[in-house]
Amino acid sequence: MAVYKRTYKTYTGALTPDWSRFTVLSRYTFSTLFDSRLFTAYSVACMIPVLAGIAFIYFIHSTTAQALLGMNASRNPNILVDGNWFLNFFQIETIMAFILAAWAVPGMMSRDFANQALQLYLSRPLSRTEYLLGKISVLAVLLSAITWIPGLVLFSLQAELEGHGWGFENLWLSGSIVIAGLLWIALISLLFMAISVWVKWRIAATALMLAIFFVLPGFGVAANAILRTTWGKLIDLPYLMSVIWVHLFRGNRQFRHMAQLDLVPLWADWTVLLGVCLISLLLLNRRLRAKEVERG
Amino acid sequence: MSAVIELDNLEVKLGNRTILDRLQGSLSGRCIGLLGPNGSGKSTLINTLLGFYPPSSGSVRIFGESVQQSSRRLRALIGYMPESDAFIADMSGVRFVRYMAEISGLPKEEAMERAHEAFFYVGLGEVRYRKVGTYSLGMKQLVKLAQALAHGPRLLLLDEPTNGLDPQARQRMLQLVRDIRDTHDVHIVISSHLLRDIEECCDQVLILKQGRVAALSNLEDERKANLKFVELEISQANGFVDAVERLGCECAAFAGGRLKIVLPENVEIRQIYRLAAEHTVQIRRMNYRRDSLEDIFLKAMEGVPAAPAMRMDASGRL
Repeated sequence: MAVYKRTYKTYTGALTPDWSRFTVLSRYTFSTLFDSRLFTAYSVACMIPVLAGIAFIYFIHSTTAQALLGMNASRNPNILVDGNWFLNFFQIETIMAFILAAWAVPGMMSRDFANQALQLYLSRPLSRTEYLLGKISVLAVLLSAITWIPGLVLFSLQAELEGHGWGFENLWLSGSIVIAGLLWIALISLLFMAISVWVKWRIAATALMLAIFFVLPGFGVAANAILRTTWGKLIDLPYLMSVIWVHLFRGNRQFRHMAQLDLVPLWADWTVLLGVCLISLLLLNRRLRAKEVERG
Repeated sequence: MSAVIELDNLEVKLGNRTILDRLQGSLSGRCIGLLGPNGSGKSTLINTLLGFYPPSSGSVRIFGESVQQSSRRLRALIGYMPESDAFIADMSGVRFVRYMAEISGLPKEEAMERAHEAFFYVGLGEVRYRKVGTYSLGMKQLVKLAQALAHGPRLLLLDEPTNGLDPQARQRMLQLVRDIRDTHDVHIVISSHLLRDIEECCDQVLILKQGRVAALSNLEDERKANLKFVELEISQANGFVDAVERLGCECAAFAGGRLKIVLPENVEIRQIYRLAAEHTVQIRRMNYRRDSLEDIFLKAMEGVPAAPAMRMDASGRL
C-alpha cells in the first residue's frame, strides 16, 4: 500500500508468532499508563518503602552506621527483622499497590469498552483469554514489582547480612511473601478488572472499587451489631486479607488486634477471597465478548 | 472463481430467537453485497463469519475453511469494519491503527509503515496524529476502514460503511471500496440497507429477509442482460429505425424521437452508435436500464412473506 501509488495491497511479509500477540496489548498498556507523569511519579514513590527497608536492614547490620548515629541495635529487642517486620512492610506495600491498581485498571479497561473497541481486538487473531492475559500481565508486573519481588529482595538481603543460617531457618518467609503477594495481586486485579468492564464510566468504577474496600466493611460491622454475629466480617475484604497475611507471616498475637482476627474461621477467609476471584472471573467472562447478545 | 464464502444450512440462534434461518449459498464475487431491511440478519451473518456467534446448526466456510474450526487463522485474513463506533478515543489515529495492525500480527516497523499508508490511502493523512475521539463521524468511519485495511487482509467485511455519512463522504467511501475491489487483491463483503451502495460497488448480492436467503444474484450477469434494453432519444429518424431493425433488433418508436430497442445477443451497443453516425442521427439521450438491483430486490421481497411496512424512498433506503 505504497503512499505514492495510493493502491491497496495485501500484506505478505512475516508475521509475529501467534503466542506473542497478547504482549502487544501489554506493551501499549504500559506505554499509555506511563504517558502520565503523575502515574510514573507515583510508581517511583512506591519504591520508597523498599529503599527504607533496605536502609533499615543495612543499618541494623552495620556497626559503623550505628556508631555514626550513636545507637546500638543489638541492645534493643524491638529492632528485629522477622515475620512481623515483613508483615508490616508488606502491609505498607499492599496499600500502595491497591492505590496503583485503582488508578491504573479503570483507565486501561474502560477505554476499550467505552467505544466498543473490544470487537476490533476479537475480530483479529486474538482470543478473549489472550486479551485478558495481555491486560492482567500489566498489573501482575506492576504490582509484583512493589509487593513480593521487593519482599524477596529484602529477605535475601537480610539472609545475606544476618548469616548464621538465618535464610534457611526462615525460608518459609520467602514462600509466605510470594503467596501473600500473589493472592493480593489476583484479588485486586480480577476484582478491579471485573468492576471496570461492567462500570464503563471511569470515575464510577474507581468509586465502586473504593466502596467495596472501605464502605462495605461498614455494612459488615452493622450486620454484626444487629444480628449479634461475627460473620458480617466476611464482607470486609481488607480484614480477611489481614487475617490470612498474619497467618502466613506467623504474626504474633499482639499484632494488629489479634484478638479480632479470630472472628471467622481461616477456611472461611480463604473461601471468600477465592470466591471473589472466581466471581470476578465469571463477570469478566460474561462481559468480554465482541458482541452483546440480547436474550429474548 | 472459487467460493469465498459457503453457507451450508447455516442457522444462528441468539437466546430463543432464530436470527439466521438455514442459509444456503455460495458467494464468490469480488465484492459481495449483503442486502436487506434492518433486522434481516446482515450484521449477524458478518458476526458469524468472524466467529463471534457460533452456528446452532449448519456451517459456514471462508476460503474453503470452516469458521468454527479455523476461526483464528481466518481472522488473520479478515479486515472488519463494524457498523457501530469502535475506536480508542484517547489514542492518536495512527497509533490506534498501528496498534490494531500489530495485534493482527504485523511486526512493529511494518505496522507503523502500513498504518501511515492506510491513513493516507483513506484520505486522513493530515489528521493522523489527532486523537480519534476528536474526529468527526465521517473521519471515524474512515479510521474504521483504515484499521480494517492496515494489516492487508484478503477479505474485508464492511458493515454499513456509509452509515451516517453526508453525500460527499458517502461517495468518497464508495470510491475507496471500488478502488480496493479493483486491485483484485481482496474480496469485499458489504452489508447495507442502501440499494445504491450495493449497486455501485458489488458484483454479487445476497438478499436477506427475516433471516432467510431471499435472493442470491450475480449483478454482473444482470447488468449484462440489462444492457440489451436501450432507450434512445434522437434528433430525426433518417432511416435509422429501419437500419436498427435490419440488425435484428426489436424497435419501438414514440413521439419526440424516443426509441426503445431490444438488442439481440449478437448485437453490441457500438453498432448502434455506428448506424447513428452513418445516418447522421444525433443521439441526445441514451438510457440503459439501471434499476436491475431494485427489480431483483422487489422480486425477492415478494417471494418471501414480507414485513408489512417495507418501502423504499427515493434514495433507495429501505
